[in-house]
Amino acid sequence: MATTKSHPKSSWDTLHNNGPFPLKTLHVTELEGSANMFSKYDRYNDAAKEIQRLIREAADKNEGFRAYGSAWSLSHIAHQKDNMHFNSFMSIHIPIPQELSHENSSYANENLFFFECGNTIKRISEVLSSHGKSLKTSGASNGQTIAGCISTGVHGAALNVGSIQDYVVGLNLIIGDKPTDIVYLERHTQPALNDDFAKKIKAKVIRNDHLFNAALVGLGAFGFIHGVVIEAEDRFLLKRYVKKIPKDLALQLADTMDFKNSTFKIDGEVDADGKPLRPYHYKVFINPYTNDNEYVVEVMYKKPYQVPYPDPFPVIKTSLYKDLIYLLIKISEKFPKSIPWFIKQLRKTILPAVDEETLGTLYETFWDAPYQGPAFACSVGIDHTNSSKAYKVLEEMTQKEGPIPGIFAMRFVKQTEATLGFTKFPITCMLEIDGVLWEKSRKIMSLTEYSRRMIEVLQENDIPFTIHWGKNSDWKFPNLVNDMFGEKVAEWKSYRNGLLSTEMQQVFSNGFLEDTNLHLPNNTNDEDLIVSL
Amino acid sequence: MKLGYKTFVRCCVAVIVCCLLSSCYTVRLKNVYGDPEPDPFNDATDYYRYMKVREIDTTIKISVTDKDFTKLIKDCSEGIYIMEYRNTFGGILLSAVTFGRKRKVKAKYVCLKPTN
Ligand SMILES: Cc1cc2nc3c(=O)[nH]c(=O)nc-3n(C[C@H](O)[C@H](O)[C@H](O)COP(=O)(O)OP(=O)(O)OC[C@H]3O[C@@H](n4cnc5c(N)ncnc54)[C@H](O)[C@@H]3O)c2cc1C
Repeated sequence: MATTKSHPKSSWDTLHNNGPFPLKTLHVTELEGSANMFSKYDRYNDAAKEIQRLIREAADKNEGFRAYGSAWSLSHIAHQKDNMHFNSFMSIHIPIPQELSHENSSYANENLFFFECGNTIKRISEVLSSHGKSLKTSGASNGQTIAGCISTGVHGAALNVGSIQDYVVGLNLIIGDKPTDIVYLERHTQPALNDDFAKKIKAKVIRNDHLFNAALVGLGAFGFIHGVVIEAEDRFLLKRYVKKIPKDLALQLADTMDFKNSTFKIDGEVDADGKPLRPYHYKVFINPYTNDNEYVVEVMYKKPYQVPYPDPFPVIKTSLYKDLIYLLIKISEKFPKSIPWFIKQLRKTILPAVDEETLGTLYETFWDAPYQGPAFACSVGIDHTNSSKAYKVLEEMTQKEGPIPGIFAMRFVKQTEATLGFTKFPITCMLEIDGVLWEKSRKIMSLTEYSRRMIEVLQENDIPFTIHWGKNSDWKFPNLVNDMFGEKVAEWKSYRNGLLSTEMQQVFSNGFLEDTNLHLPNNTNDEDLIVSL
Repeated sequence: MKLGYKTFVRCCVAVIVCCLLSSCYTVRLKNVYGDPEPDPFNDATDYYRYMKVREIDTTIKISVTDKDFTKLIKDCSEGIYIMEYRNTFGGILLSAVTFGRKRKVKAKYVCLKPTN
């Protein structure tokens, strides 16, 4: 039997100390050992029963219940004041044999893999690599869990690929404590696995694009994601270059994504006509406090997997004295004008080394990120054609009303089908400012005030935007989610309403959903929504 | 200019303190592969935040004929994710005055997360 240890705990915090937040109980479930229960499906189904027991227990006490992964979100999206469930030990992966593929599946069976929620991106990459496969994309690092990633919409800078949720093709959710409350969702237009698979995980199958897309970036509110089916691809290499290029050129590329006709050319990265290739990855780093005419950009090109290639890992990795960071931040709170100077001094630590070139797999390129102390990250999504316009207004605001201890970056991501995915534009520019968490003082505004100003400035300049669900913002900003997603909000709520009972909608709600007004069900109760199409 | 006696002593003390401090250092050896074993209760605000840390803080006594020793780690069935070894001035001194018979071991380690 899977066992859960439930510990009374008065507070909980994110990895990067964005809390603390109050809590009553922290649950940690571990699966039955494989020596006692041989079949992976049995152990998986046994764990599902245990989660159902915990959900019922919470509901009976009129309390909430929320799963979390690695606590890497910097917003309070993972927090629930009553019961939080730590998923990390739920990390089975089950191979998918050919006979479980759906007859109308357009996916190569060898590319489909089933992972339980607590598997990290790193672990998944290792499993895939042992099959000669790779994830299509990941974030800048690898410690998040797969369920945590899709719940907020984690992205990298893969402009032709999309975000992590975009290669998820099946979702196994636990939406209550009854046997019929275990469901397996797929898109009806792109089925992946057949009903025999669903039987193995004792799930009711619903194939419905709208439901699937709503649940995909579910903000932890669509029940407990127990497992996901992902589509992998053949392992590949990424050739990575870090260059300093004229500011105007970097922004022109951001606005147009027209690499082919640009003057930005890297030897060897050209097509048969000598025109620059479109990269796999494009990222621009911007220090808002210098008048430099050049920006540092990171570009990567996809290459076939071939061994041998040089070891991409450095042998030694140093980290800054943490006390030094704390000291800098204390000085910054008292003397904010010193921030630009500090950033300049730390540029070698913050920015990648210019003219660096590496070759490695996705796993090796987007590797571990060690904890480096309290941190913040604000990230807005805009249509890439608005990249330079949005940056200009946010830079102006940051210079005039700041400074704050962070630097900007831009990453570009292909559109998602997820209803509330923040990468909603054809190509979304994720414009982010990351740095060290500070406290408000007489001389420096708070992080919430700064992120409110970001929202106001974008609205004042008529730049449509979204915000990364897992990052810092003024999440209580009036009408924020409607402004970002319009009619999609009602659609998302309708499918949540249809799938989850009213009782379970409350169980799977939290302060974040309340702050964003997503906890309230729609008035419509359209029974026909939750059907296979 | 002649250095005063007091200044000379101060300088010497400073040099000795610097030498002592630099003789205490930490080395981390990290596996490139695998996840750390997590511990959601480890709220520490250091490198090991939310990792399950195990520590060794002991003095090993060996006989004059023993060249070295191997301390066995029995609680990492999946392997080691990270090992941090701390070299202290006290440890070096102890080893020196006992002609290597007593050796202080101060280490921290995190196991690899068990895979299901
Ligand atoms: C060092 C660092 C680097 C980062 N880099 C990037 C990046 O490159 N790109 C990017 O987009 N983001 C990035 N982020 C943000 C972070 O990756 C996301 O916020 C991500 O969602 C965190 O995943 P997690 O597993 O830690 O989930 P958590 O933060 O623990 O949880 C996130 C959400 O998932 C829900 N959830 C988790 N498991 C389940 C489940 N089983 N069932 C239902 N709901 C569940 C939680 O309730 C919560 O709503 C970074 C964060 C850090 C700290």
